[in-house]
Order: sequence, then C-alpha cells, then structure tokens
Amino acid sequence: MPCDSPAPVLRHEALNRDHFLLTLQSTRIAREARAGQFVMVQTRAGSDPLLRRPMSLYRVLPGGRGWFQILYKVVGAGTRYLSQQPVGAVLPTLGPLGNGFRLPEPGNRPVLLAGGIGIAIFPFLAEALRKAGLPAPILLYGGRSKRDLVGLGFFRARRIPMRLATEDGSAGTRGYVTRLLEPLLDRRKGSARLELYACGPTPMLKAVGALAMGAGVPCQLALESQMPCGIGVCLGCVVPCPGDARGPVFRRVCTEGPIFRASEVAL
Amino acid sequence: MKRLPGPPTDLAVRLGPLRLKNPVVAASGTFGYGSEFLPYLDLKELGGFVTKGLSLLPRRGNAPPRTCETPSGMLNAIGLANVGVEAFLAEKLPALRGCGTVVIANVFGETQDEYAGVARRLNRAPGLSAIELNLSCPNTEKGGLAFGVSPPVIREVVGAVRRAAPDLPLIVKLTPNITDVAVAARAAKEGGADVLSLVNTFLGMAIDLEARRPVLDNVVGGLSGPAIKPLALYMVHRVRGAIDLPIMGMGGISGARDALEFIVAGSSAIQVGTLNFFDPGAMPRLVREIDAWCRRQGVRAVRDLTGTLRVPGGSSPGPSAV
Repeated sequence: MPCDSPAPVLRHEALNRDHFLLTLQSTRIAREARAGQFVMVQTRAGSDPLLRRPMSLYRVLPGGRGWFQILYKVVGAGTRYLSQQPVGAVLPTLGPLGNGFRLPEPGNRPVLLAGGIGIAIFPFLAEALRKAGLPAPILLYGGRSKRDLVGLGFFRARRIPMRLATEDGSAGTRGYVTRLLEPLLDRRKGSARLELYACGPTPMLKAVGALAMGAGVPCQLALESQMPCGIGVCLGCVVPCPGDARGPVFRRVCTEGPIFRASEVAL
Repeated sequence: MKRLPGPPTDLAVRLGPLRLKNPVVAASGTFGYGSEFLPYLDLKELGGFVTKGLSLLPRRGNAPPRTCETPSGMLNAIGLANVGVEAFLAEKLPALRGCGTVVIANVFGETQDEYAGVARRLNRAPGLSAIELNLSCPNTEKGGLAFGVSPPVIREVVGAVRRAAPDLPLIVKLTPNITDVAVAARAAKEGGADVLSLVNTFLGMAIDLEARRPVLDNVVGGLSGPAIKPLALYMVHRVRGAIDLPIMGMGGISGARDALEFIVAGSSAIQVGTLNFFDPGAMPRLVREIDAWCRRQGVRAVRDLTGTLRVPGGSSPGPSAV
C-alpha cells in the first residue's frame, strides 16, 4: 500500500548542468517499490508550485535502510526548485504508485529503449531482472546530444551492452533511438525472442510501439503525463486508448499505468 | 505535543436537515468515490465527502491534456467523466457501507430530465446522506449555457430534483461564473434547496505561447486552488448577507485558517478540493487544527463561529460597489 512519507534528502548530486540524482529515505516506500513505479514529490513547500511532481524510481539502494533514488532533469519551475533542495531537507513523498513493469518471459531477451531522461526508470528494472535470474538486457539510449545521455556509469559497471544514438551525432549513431532498434528487429529471426521496454518522449514511444507491433514483439511503454494527484482521483493524467465507434476510451496513467503494453494505448 | 487549553471543541454542525460530525467535507471531483483515499486517511475522521459528479450514463470525459498547473492553482477540464449512477449504486456505494462518515452524491445532467433521473435513482439509496447538484454543467437544450447562470433555469432544475428525490437533503452547488452569485442563490432557494455550496471553479485558460495554442484540449477549464480563495470568500460573504440558507463554503482551502475564514464569513461547513490532490492526508489534520484554534480562542462549538465576521459599520457592499 502506498504511503505519504516525509522523506529526508540524503544526497543530491548534479550530474551536469540540468541533470540531478536525488537520494531520499523512506523505509516503507523503499520496501514496497517495484521497477517501473513512481513517487509524487513535493518540490518546495507552499503553493508555488502547487502540485507534486511524478518521478520514476531510479533505484532502491541495497542495505535495507530505505534509501531510494530519483534521476531527473530540470525542465521547469518545479524541477528547478527541487534541484535547490539541500541535504537534510524533508520532502513529502507519496508512493510507491502505479503498476510497474511486468518482467519478461523466461528466456526472452529484454531490450531497454531510453529517450533522454527516460533512462531514469531503467536501473531499477535492470536490477530486478538480475534478481529474478533473467537474461541481462541490452540498452538502446538516444538523446538530442551527448550531454543528454546521463547515468551511463550504472550500466557500464554492470557490463550491460549499450548502444547510443544522438540527434546531432555527438555520441553514437546519428539519429533517433529507433535507428538502433530496427536492425535488432530485422536480425532476430531464428535467435532468442526479444521483449521491449521503452521510456521517453511520446513521439519516440509511438514509433517504438509501432515497430514492435509490426514485428510481433512484446513491448511495454512507460508513459509520462501531467499528473495532479497520482492516486487516481483527479482523472487529469489520462491517455487515449483504443475504444469503439464512439471514440477512444481514456485510462489513467497514474493508476492503470504508467506502464502500458504498446497495443493498449493510442498515442 | 503541546497541551491545548480547555475541553475538546464541539465540532458537530447542522446544515438544515443535514448533520455532520465536523465541518470538513471533501469536494466533488477531488475524492473519487471515497475508497481511493483509504491508504492516506480514515474516512471516519471526515465530516463527509462528496462523490465525483454522477450522470445517468457513464461518461468518458474530454481528450487530454485535461489539466494545467497555474500560479497557486490549476485548471481542469475533465469533461465530467464518471462511472454513471447505476455503477455507482451497484459497485461504489455498497463498498462505503459503515465507512463512518456522511456520503453525498454529486449529480449533474445535460438536460433537466437527466438531473431529475439521476436524483430519482439516488433517492432512498441505502448509505447516501444527501445530494449535491452541480449547476456548472452545460445545458444542451439551451445552447450549451451552464444551468447555473440563469435564475429561471436554476429554479426549475432545482425544483425538478427536489420532486425526484424528496427524501434526501438537497445541496445546490453554485457556479461563480455569474455577475451576482446572490441572484443564483436566491433562485436555488426558491427551487427548494436546503443548503448552498459555493463556489465551483472559475472559468479560465492557459496558453502555450510558442505553439500559440490553448494548453487544454477543451480550450477552457475551471480554475481551483489557493489562487481563487479571496474570490470564493467574497462570494460566501455575499450570499450569507443576502440569502437565509446554510452554506458549505469552498475555494482554495489549504489549511485550518483558510477553513475558519470561510466559516467566519458565513459557512456552516467547508469543502476541501484541490488540496486533496497535493496532500491526500490533509483533511483529518484540518479537523484537528480547527479544534486546536477554537480551544486557543476559547470557542466552545465551531458552529458558534459561523457568520461572526465583524464588518465595520455593519453593512457590506454589493458586487458593483468597488
């Protein structure tokens, strides 16, 4: 069951000018969290900004002390205030929320596709895969430029194979992350089945979902949305899903998601 | 914890036929159907809660984006998505049996008949304590104008619901998007309202400047949160001075002091809305803080505070006096 916990800031590191790694403490959140879930964090006390911000869980640190991490990028006022929170500050934090990832069928090879700050959801999944004794993943990671590719150290340290793409060609292949996926989907005939896990901007998720469904490969998409409450009551964060002659149906990203099968949503 | 002076405050309030154990009620659309909040609070600690607005048939609501944060507030255009009155009666209401607080069903329709139809289904529903009418819904028979902006329409729809659900206390929730809210309040009273709740959200919009597009898919949304508190407080004061009906005041209440201001302005009970989104455990704390404030101030019963505002000179200007 989720809880609202006053979570102290234990560490707060700047990875570069606009990316930060935040370590918080809450025994209950850390104990109950699963890969793919999120928390709602109050970025600053008072009424500006009014709403908490949904943040993927980056990792729960080993040791049972209730330490968990959030990797985020400063994109607006809320995340800017958050980046100014010092060690020792206490941030009301609600979670863990949402459904989390389903682990792959035994024997299937998981492929993680991250776009920009979408990387923030995958270290937790990589650790869950290892704990479950499942095959190690491959990471395909795209961003606008080299500066947008953060958190590589985690995957390097665990010898997780990585392929990079940047729109400006400053690291890896020039182009979108889907350019890294296409050859994998082409080559897979005869080899182990793949399962895709994608997190990033909506156009990327749409493209990855379409490629996966075209190739008949299972694919889970981690969605982002404007999310005032995070607990299923405001109905603000909905995503259109295949409906009927009357039009789409809407499902809540916070409650039915944030992880959806590619076939479940109409992005 | 610091010891508080005096005995616990008598927090019970009465609004016409409706009795609440304390004046703190969760507002419609911010509390789901109740059970969503069980991880964060004990429903028994609340004065009551109002359900998501119910229509005759289920509604899917508007396309996203449906919400947008604004300075000290937020806009929403959910489009009245809800499970429909039948699913509410079959699935949601039975789950609330013995929840220990007052359950109020919020009702809306696109036509007067739909309002009455929903109310008829709810009359005598076991476990339901009252109906609250949402008058901010567009009237499809009158060119999409909200029911709540026309006094004759308000009188008729309130009267129709009164006849359709004669056994339940009837709360009428007023829209602030009208020149003088007291005119709407009077029409609701003439239609047979027992209690007035005010205010619903203020119409507003947000713009994505670079794209030169409205942020909300619906273009227009309802503004809520601390940003609207002074506007709402004035409207409660205005209605209190003009109409003799008990009031549930609301609009941007984010703490006990806000709640108490609404009570002093003329509310018998208050509703908490947007606060539930960013602080889901807040309402029981509000109840405790209201008790603490009353004890420090030597107020024995919270109902004694209602309408105790001291206006210099004793009179209070109408909407055009500024």
